[in-house]
Amino acid sequence: MTDADYFGLLGVERRWRLDRGALERNYLERSQASHPDGFIGQDSGTQRAAMERSSQLNQGYRTLRDPVLRAEYLVKLGGTDLDSSDPRTGAPKPSQAFLIEMIDLRERLAEGDVAAVREEIEARAEQALDAGIAALDRGEVAEAARELVARRYFQRFLDEVDASEERPT
Amino acid sequence: MSKINLQDTGALFQIAEPTAAQAAPRAPGRGIGIDLGTTHSLVAIAPQGAAPRVLADAEGRVILPSVVSYAGERVVVGAPAMAQQEEHPERVVSSVKRFMGRGAADIEFSHPYQLVGEGGVLRIAVGDEPRRHVSPIEVSAELLRALKQRAEAELGGPVDGAVITVPAYFDDAQRQATRDAGRIAGLKVYRLLAEPTAAALAYGLDRGEHGVFAIYDLGGGTFDISVLRLHAGVFQVLATGGDSALGGDDFDRALAGHLLARAGLGEPSRRQVESARIAARALKERLSAADSVRIDLESLGLVDLEVTRAELEALIEPLAQRTIKACKAALKDAGLRAAELDGVVLVGGSTRVPRIRQLVEMTFGRPPLTNIDPDQVVAHGAAIQADILSGSERPGVTLLDVVPLSLGLETMGGIVEKIIPRNATIPISARQVFTNYSEQQTGMVIHVVQGERELARDNRSLARFELKGIPRLPPSMARVEVTFQLDADALLTVTARELMTGVKQAVEVKPTHGLSAEEVDRLVIESLDHAGEDYSARNLAEARVELGRVILAVRRAVGEVGHIESLLPPDDRMAIETALSEADAAMVAMVAMVAGSTTESDTEAAAASLTRARERLERISEPFAARRMQRALNAGMAGKSLDEIEAALADEGLDARRGGHSAALIQDDDEHGE
Repeated sequence: MTDADYFGLLGVERRWRLDRGALERNYLERSQASHPDGFIGQDSGTQRAAMERSSQLNQGYRTLRDPVLRAEYLVKLGGTDLDSSDPRTGAPKPSQAFLIEMIDLRERLAEGDVAAVREEIEARAEQALDAGIAALDRGEVAEAARELVARRYFQRFLDEVDASEERPT
Repeated sequence: MSKINLQDTGALFQIAEPTAAQAAPRAPGRGIGIDLGTTHSLVAIAPQGAAPRVLADAEGRVILPSVVSYAGERVVVGAPAMAQQEEHPERVVSSVKRFMGRGAADIEFSHPYQLVGEGGVLRIAVGDEPRRHVSPIEVSAELLRALKQRAEAELGGPVDGAVITVPAYFDDAQRQATRDAGRIAGLKVYRLLAEPTAAALAYGLDRGEHGVFAIYDLGGGTFDISVLRLHAGVFQVLATGGDSALGGDDFDRALAGHLLARAGLGEPSRRQVESARIAARALKERLSAADSVRIDLESLGLVDLEVTRAELEALIEPLAQRTIKACKAALKDAGLRAAELDGVVLVGGSTRVPRIRQLVEMTFGRPPLTNIDPDQVVAHGAAIQADILSGSERPGVTLLDVVPLSLGLETMGGIVEKIIPRNATIPISARQVFTNYSEQQTGMVIHVVQGERELARDNRSLARFELKGIPRLPPSMARVEVTFQLDADALLTVTARELMTGVKQAVEVKPTHGLSAEEVDRLVIESLDHAGEDYSARNLAEARVELGRVILAVRRAVGEVGHIESLLPPDDRMAIETALSEADAAMVAMVAMVAGSTTESDTEAAAASLTRARERLERISEPFAARRMQRALNAGMAGKSLDEIEAALADEGLDARRGGHSAALIQDDDEHGE
């Protein structure tokens, strides 16, 4: 089973910069046409098809609406699945230097410099996303994949900071 | 039901297919909307585009107290049941909604019942002589049955199907339990609809508004907050949150505790607790209009007691604040500030409490909408949706609802991997690939949980099953793809597939604390037995399923090996084709016959004709089946192992079953499955 191309499914151009109005409009229109409620009383095959199409529209809308998921999805369409660890088609491994940098950041965090580290990482995550998008626009999928993987590392870091702040000490 | 093992590859078809199989001619205008509430329930209709109206019983009461009494010989429902509550608190079941889809260990609130866990299913002991234990699902089914009968009296004929509302916050187990209750009550459940969505539907259609609305729904036992956007004929739920164990009943309990304390009763009897609770409810209602109330509570030894609204408000303040916290979280999830809303709708009797209205107004910065009776608004919305789904020509909006809680899988270390995040629009499916950790690993336990917490044990456990037959592969080489499919009722089907071998298993998630499919079927049949004339309806349904199964098995075999003349000589083929078309004709004739009439004798005649057609088809295709069997055996003699023959035979059997289940003709597949 292959994923249908969400851009085609939702009738928007296949690139990161998005016509939001068209996405919203097409999503609502197409969801209305294929929602399972419109097929109650019909045969099970038709009902199943409606459910599957609606599922895809919802999943596609969720993906395209989100700037990060949309970028990652474009990389996936380009042949690199960031959710996979396959050495050929999966997420590229970050460089040694990058990993060492992440360890340093963690140490700085442990030293208690939370606010400053946080701000820095937020900025780095944004930069990585911007660089990833720029690479996609140039058609350089491998480069985009590297940047988006870096962004994921930064994001996970931020999530951990949030979690540790919420935890009662 | 701690573990579900499904090893044959037909599982996907056998189990997953029936959820979608409901091919039946629709009956416009014969759909009903049911608000199955914690403290009271209602039924409404809005036939063929008419304005919704709630239906009253013979005494003119629209509200059915959600109370079922097992105190006497006969089960009694509603107000008469309530009247028996003070005398038999442990045998009269109220607020049963709080027990739906729950195990004994989940029940952390106080209640007067003796609970028994039988095979993981929670039951309430409502009688010793004779012993009687009822599940919350059966109790709910009694309420639904009463409302169905009310609607039948009004419609002057059978109900086609129902939309039943559930709190948006209900998890998979609670939804499944509600759906099962509907089936046991003999209802075709068109759709489970979130209560706030129903309320918005009632308001939205009346006024044709566009915009973003918050629905604050505080019922007897549950609290929901939902944020919805209405535009271009689509209702989109942006976020939902709440607490499925917080409601007006808690207000009553808080006040009852206060009354008992004032009476100086440190260790009150069950009867006294119950009296205090009933008094507290009455007091709460009166304090919505008055600043203070004087009452006598002789059973507690309290005479001319004064209770003020300020006292009540102080008692409920912590509960009220919990609802406000949930409101703020829902706004955040929707990515909105309160000022961006176009309106706030109040739903549920508990929103009559002045302090609640005050807090809602403060939180959202505007007075809430209350034009429609907050007790009836949910039933109105359900009736509108039921009318649309019954096939009426009614200008409808499409409801894009969301799943209220994230769904995930337990991974190494008990950590939850989220597969579908909360507030994702349904239906939706998602896939995730997992891998093996050692070459010795040939099985994988799939533990499905629902909730927001990081650790699996802190979330609701929905199901656990084991994927077997993973090939021996080096670590991280096996690829197990797990697919979650949520349907439009937010009910979950999980499929797991090993990508190297294609070993596939599916399980329609049966909640750990739900009734088993067999038990639901048994109860469905029992409920049919109750209703005299329905015995023949059941016969008819079974005859139809049987014939459908045989037709498909034969057709499939003809399609697959019919071209081999030694298996199917032309004469035989002709005879089989004739028998097949006669069988088809019998199906069509039966549909026409039953559609026009519902008398017992017609139903029986239809069942008899289906059975005759099946027997003829079986007789005529029997030689063909025997030759296929022989061929499979011969193949075995020509050097195949016994295992392979058995596998081949098993496949053949499976194919037939699969065919039967995917049949579009079989409308009652999910009610009379194997």
